[in-house]
Amino acid sequence: MLGMSRSMGMAGVAALSLLAAAAWPPAAVHAKDVTLEFVVWNYSLDTIQDNVRQFEAENPGIKVNVTDYTWPDYHDSVVLRFRGNTTTDVIYGGQDWLPAWAAAGYLYPLDEIAADAIESYKKDLAGFTINDMTYDGHLYGLPYYADTISFIYNQRILKDAAIEVPTSWEEVADAARKLKANGMERPIVYEFNQELPNFYDAFVAQAYGRGGDLFDEEGEAIFNRPDNAAFQQLSWLRDVIAEGLVAFENHESTIIPAMNSGKHAFTIVYNYVLAAMNNKADQPLAGEFALARMPGEAQSTLGFTKFYAITSSAAENRERREAAWKFVDFMAGPPYAVAKRWAIEKGLGFGQLPLLEDPEVIEAWSGWVDMPTLQAQIETARGGTWKEWTAVWAASFRPLMAQAMIGEATVEEVMSQGAERWDALRAQMAR
Amino acid sequence: MWRSARFPVLWVGAPLLLVTLFTVVPIGHTLWTSLHSAHFLFPDELSWSGLDNYRKVIAGPFFLTTLKNSLLFTAVTAPVVVGLGIATALLLQRRFTGRAVLRSVVLLPWVLPGAITAVLWIWVFNPSWGMLNTWLRDLGLITSSIPWLSDPSLAFASVAVAHIWSQVPFSVVLIMAALSTIDPALFEAARIDGANAWQRFRFVVWPAIKAMVVVLLVYNALTAFTTYDVVYAMTGGGPGTATSLLSFQIWRESFSMYDFGAGSAVAFLVVAMAGLMIVAITRALPSDLFAATEDEAP
Repeated sequence: MLGMSRSMGMAGVAALSLLAAAAWPPAAVHAKDVTLEFVVWNYSLDTIQDNVRQFEAENPGIKVNVTDYTWPDYHDSVVLRFRGNTTTDVIYGGQDWLPAWAAAGYLYPLDEIAADAIESYKKDLAGFTINDMTYDGHLYGLPYYADTISFIYNQRILKDAAIEVPTSWEEVADAARKLKANGMERPIVYEFNQELPNFYDAFVAQAYGRGGDLFDEEGEAIFNRPDNAAFQQLSWLRDVIAEGLVAFENHESTIIPAMNSGKHAFTIVYNYVLAAMNNKADQPLAGEFALARMPGEAQSTLGFTKFYAITSSAAENRERREAAWKFVDFMAGPPYAVAKRWAIEKGLGFGQLPLLEDPEVIEAWSGWVDMPTLQAQIETARGGTWKEWTAVWAASFRPLMAQAMIGEATVEEVMSQGAERWDALRAQMAR
Repeated sequence: MWRSARFPVLWVGAPLLLVTLFTVVPIGHTLWTSLHSAHFLFPDELSWSGLDNYRKVIAGPFFLTTLKNSLLFTAVTAPVVVGLGIATALLLQRRFTGRAVLRSVVLLPWVLPGAITAVLWIWVFNPSWGMLNTWLRDLGLITSSIPWLSDPSLAFASVAVAHIWSQVPFSVVLIMAALSTIDPALFEAARIDGANAWQRFRFVVWPAIKAMVVVLLVYNALTAFTTYDVVYAMTGGGPGTATSLLSFQIWRESFSMYDFGAGSAVAFLVVAMAGLMIVAITRALPSDLFAATEDEAP
């Protein structure tokens, strides 16, 4: 043994190493342990943590650290993490933030990480969710949850007044006038808070109901044209408000008791607000509220998607990239167990269409919404026009819209100012 | 002998350093940012822009309206806060059953955060299920709901009421402190001399509290001119621009539109106007207002 050559010794060590690896493969996997940094806003953190635990149990060798922020702080906190190079692998993304974050190179396209899987998953996703998660032709996420803005009405009030469910905005106004004549002070209750993104989103949804859009296919602002659907809808809102048909609430949470006071027949909110309105545990008129297709010729609406996205820094490293993809696939890919859990336990909407046929989801949701109507609304929902500057522009456009709605300024003036601002930001971004 | 006057630079230097760090530096940075193009969407375009941000915000659709609203808000709320503070303090000086409890309750609005105050007043003013409309209807004073927060002029008044409610306690505390310095013998003497309630206030109370009243007026004018939280939570500056104040516009430009250059320009204008306001108020004071205090100083 003492006379054994150096090369023989090396070969022996190598052979022993191979033997050890073959005989004990789990040890080799654990030697490559990856810890992912997963950043979320803090909605139902217990459920998130439980989902993560299930993932870790199914994927030994991958740990997931969850960091949460409040919703109002989330955007700024994530941007600071990006700019400060804080390790961040998987995040909750949003349709309105995607263009700016993707353009800045913070996020990595999923279709360049798992092209075949993404291509096969797309057929299961609602059209608006694909739009919301796509930037520059690439898909950057899989849905955490997705929802539509919907037209809600009180079935009993309409039945008692012998009013058909309106299918156009003119019919909504006529129904409201009839109810007002019958003694209901303000038949429409509207979420009026110009500082909230919902204020703009609900308006876009109404314009989509009319079958129009605020922008053309090249992204040019066209809402300042009098024949445009958004222009017409803002004029409609101004008129019904001036007629005293509309009550304002400044948050969706106060729409719920307002509708449950029986003093209003119509509202426009996210679907999960309908779920809360029809919650028999704490709402006196639960069961009276129903979803109708968004009024207008197209009966379309705005859909939005919050999604899991992988950061570019995670994608740079093969192990982290693969682990991050496994995690995103677990959370949002087939058989959509996590999305189903959110839907059943929390009433969150989803972008994975097969869940609409799932018996457990149908049973859970049938208590508060008519599933065929919801399915029809989801199938015709459209994504928004999300450019790098959309969120910034909308922040300046919302107060203008509000001014027109209450008669502080004309529709022509605010639409013109809004279009100028859009063009200026667009030109600045192009530079 | 140990005397603080031996190390004037040391004693003055420490607070000056803190003031420099926490006041002068932020104001200087705000001024610097306001003279640059600083937009979140275009981080690489940070460049000198001179007075462009000032021109942009002043010519913009919201500045003049928010300035007018802020001045009106200040002119209405500051005197009302101080007036109610004096009246409440005088009431609480009297002896009556439950005075101690009432003194504690009066202070309650002062310790509530602005957002909580706003939520509380939303519950009062809500047109559909708010307490105020319900009471007015129950009393037969109205037959239809009053849109307190959605009618522009009523919304302004409603926000002003919430702000006044949250600020009065601080005035009460300081006026009560000033009232406690009055020798009870003076009241007794005034009564013996046949002075009525108004004369007792005019010649006994007012001289003792007038310096505090001026301090409170300056303080409340600045608080009203820079208030933000109650307005944001109650109305979001709306409807339209009805309750949009300058401080709200700073936030909107900076954190809603991500234009930190424009937001800093509005902020610096607010600082400059607040400074002018302090100078104007103090210049308008009688020159002997604080004389007694100065004479008594060691």
